[in-house]
Amino acid sequence: MQQSPSAADLVFNAAATSASLDRIADGGRCTVMAVTGETGVRRRLLEMGLCPGVEVDVVRRAPLGDPIEYLVRGYHLSLRAEQAAQVVVCDRSRP
Amino acid sequence: MATTSVNVPVDLDRRVLSVALAGNPNAGKTTLFNALTGLRQKVANYPGITVEKKTGRCRIGDGWVDIIDLPGTYSLVAQSPDEAVAAAVLRGARTDTPLPDVVVAVVDASNLPRNLYLVSQLIELGQPLVVALNMVDIAERRGTPVDAGLLARELGVEVVPLVGNRKRGIDALKAAIVRATPAPVPTWPLSEALWEELQHVAGALAAAAPAMWPRQQEGAPEAMRTLPQVIAARRLLGGEPAPDLAAHASATGVAATLAAARLRLATLGIDAMQADIEARYRWIDGIAERVVSRDARPRLRATLSERVDAVLMHRVFGLAIFTAVMASVFATIFWVADPLNGWFEGAISWLGDLVTGHIAEGPLKALLKDGVFAGVGAVVVFVPQIALLFLLLAVLEDTGYLARAAFLMDRVLGKVGLHGKSFIPLLSSFACAIPGVMATRTIDSRRERLATILVAPFMSCSARLPVYGLLIGAFFGGLGAVAKGMIMLGCYALGVIVAAAVAWALKLAARKEPPPAFILELPVYKVPQPSLIGWQVWTNTSKFLTKAGTTIFCLSILLWALAYYPRAPQAVLDQAATHAEERTRAEPAGEALDERIAAARERAAGQAGLEYSAAGRLGHAIEPVIAPLGFDWKIGVGLIGAFAAREVFNSTLSIIYSLGAREADDVDDLASAIRADTRADGTPVWRPLVAVSLLVWFVLAMQCISTTAVVRRETGGWRWPLIQLGFMNALAYVLCFAVYQIGTRLGY
Repeated sequence: MQQSPSAADLVFNAAATSASLDRIADGGRCTVMAVTGETGVRRRLLEMGLCPGVEVDVVRRAPLGDPIEYLVRGYHLSLRAEQAAQVVVCDRSRP
Repeated sequence: MATTSVNVPVDLDRRVLSVALAGNPNAGKTTLFNALTGLRQKVANYPGITVEKKTGRCRIGDGWVDIIDLPGTYSLVAQSPDEAVAAAVLRGARTDTPLPDVVVAVVDASNLPRNLYLVSQLIELGQPLVVALNMVDIAERRGTPVDAGLLARELGVEVVPLVGNRKRGIDALKAAIVRATPAPVPTWPLSEALWEELQHVAGALAAAAPAMWPRQQEGAPEAMRTLPQVIAARRLLGGEPAPDLAAHASATGVAATLAAARLRLATLGIDAMQADIEARYRWIDGIAERVVSRDARPRLRATLSERVDAVLMHRVFGLAIFTAVMASVFATIFWVADPLNGWFEGAISWLGDLVTGHIAEGPLKALLKDGVFAGVGAVVVFVPQIALLFLLLAVLEDTGYLARAAFLMDRVLGKVGLHGKSFIPLLSSFACAIPGVMATRTIDSRRERLATILVAPFMSCSARLPVYGLLIGAFFGGLGAVAKGMIMLGCYALGVIVAAAVAWALKLAARKEPPPAFILELPVYKVPQPSLIGWQVWTNTSKFLTKAGTTIFCLSILLWALAYYPRAPQAVLDQAATHAEERTRAEPAGEALDERIAAARERAAGQAGLEYSAAGRLGHAIEPVIAPLGFDWKIGVGLIGAFAAREVFNSTLSIIYSLGAREADDVDDLASAIRADTRADGTPVWRPLVAVSLLVWFVLAMQCISTTAVVRRETGGWRWPLIQLGFMNALAYVLCFAVYQIGTRLGY
């Protein structure tokens, strides 16, 4: 959970099941691979603990589908889909 | 400035130690601040911005210590004005606040890693540091207890375990503050290449301006001697907006070295910002691994909070509960506050009668009774609503439900550029915009808070109801109850629709700036603490009275003077009274003729006096401007009166129609009087179309000095309240113009 995935891992995973965090279904689990986008928001997402290699659980979506609640580093964080889309993840819930 | 009078003996021989409380939002800083300072606090604003500055004094041993409660922040790289203030104070970059001698890092033990991120930055400040490990009870209950002793050894500073809502541990914290020392700066696990570049930049920084760096101790190890430069280099290389380093960064040699280093890192594919954040989290994860109990690591069982959330955030039950909670919030400030208001008003007017009872009729009595006491009444009338709303808000925020409510509502409000937390302020504004605007303080995002403040007065407040009632009753009385209800509903809907449109337009206008990050932490549910809630209600209510209240009071007196001066000469009043007497005598004789004559004379004199006053003349003066909306000068006078409070429109009209200032709810006489009023050419002044136009005006126009005073207070200046006043009234004017002119053309 703590170690960053190796470059090879990332490349392999990216080819296999990479998605943006807003696409992961409720109850799903994924690993952060990269955070993209505008610097200010990107910095804050990283600072909130969404660093490459960290596991994220998708807890639930709000009744209208947005925002989305995540469990990251043991705390509950909610992001608008727009911001979650900046986080590239590797979907662990898929076989 | 102070809301609580502070009487503290100042020891002039010894400089008072200043201590800053820094920590993430929801880490329990406010509770700790209250526990340390008791009621020896004052709340002011940082000059020029709306961020609150909370300071207090705390007794430690036989001395006093200044405590400053900084705004909650996730990082020293600020993303909002609040965070910028926290960072600036901690770096000693604000001239109005001295560099704190000791920093207390308030850390939520139940959420250790994310909280330690800020600690990793606080360590680098080099100031003496103490970690207040808060909410250890919650961490224990969650099965993730933190070993405070071990954490202290890992960080190299004292760690004081605290239970947030009880005062346990406060004495230990006080003792630790006095003997605090700076934490040793750890060597962040950075890559070799990055270290190399950091050394390059640090070297350039040291060479460019050696005098700008604090001298390190002789015996310090080589690496430590250039530590401040390395930290500065890391911040610059990471692209951190660092105003305090601007001078260094532009120094000869530094800019070039920095650019070269960035280029080399880019070719290696290293992102200095991300590498730095990751390194800190690697360091944090290592510590957390050791200090948080291991056996509880796998989260097998959902926490109590998570099980509660499964219901409260459920698609169906969650929304049903949300609706019920919000309905009770609304009912409380709409109906429960009402009898309290009546009681307050009764008490004020009783006091007014008591004081002015022995004063002869005249300007002094009028000033005291209708100016001063009515002005005080205009201020205190908001107190029950404000106190109740802040009571409910504090409970909702303290339990953790407020964040959930924002989560549930964000989609709807986010679409038009507002925030999930805009919901309660807007809902409250249906009762009154004053508590509504004040409640926007819970919105962390500056831009969304401002948008909420700007559109809140479009919600039809309870002061508009009597006006709606009068106009609908007078002109649509023939319609059925359902149709009348639909018109009333239409007024409410118009306000909401326009508010949404304006908020959306503001969002479009600001689209060039990057959107604010919506990052909403859903804190663990907690039992609310009565002391913290009481304190919130008290500080918010007293701040309203001292800050906005004075403005409202002064403006109320000004409005009173407008309607009182200049005084009509006695001859004018006598003439009006004589006319009224003649008219009354001409009526078919009935009971109590003398009484009726006396009443008619008095009402006529009142009407003549108001018409002669500045407000009356202003009504005439603005007639050409408001005529295209269908309004005559009498309505103009009513609109001026309505600036005190919208329902004053009814009583002002009542006086103008020579009916005396009757109770606002007794509208039947007034309704028939305005229906019967004719212009010089015999056409009725009031047509249903005029009533529609006036309804639109009352829905949209900003004509409430109290709201303007509160917006000024909440936005820290006259800029936004004046912009709001301008655009709301311009919008109301344009729409009323369209309604009346198009309606007239269509033959209504």
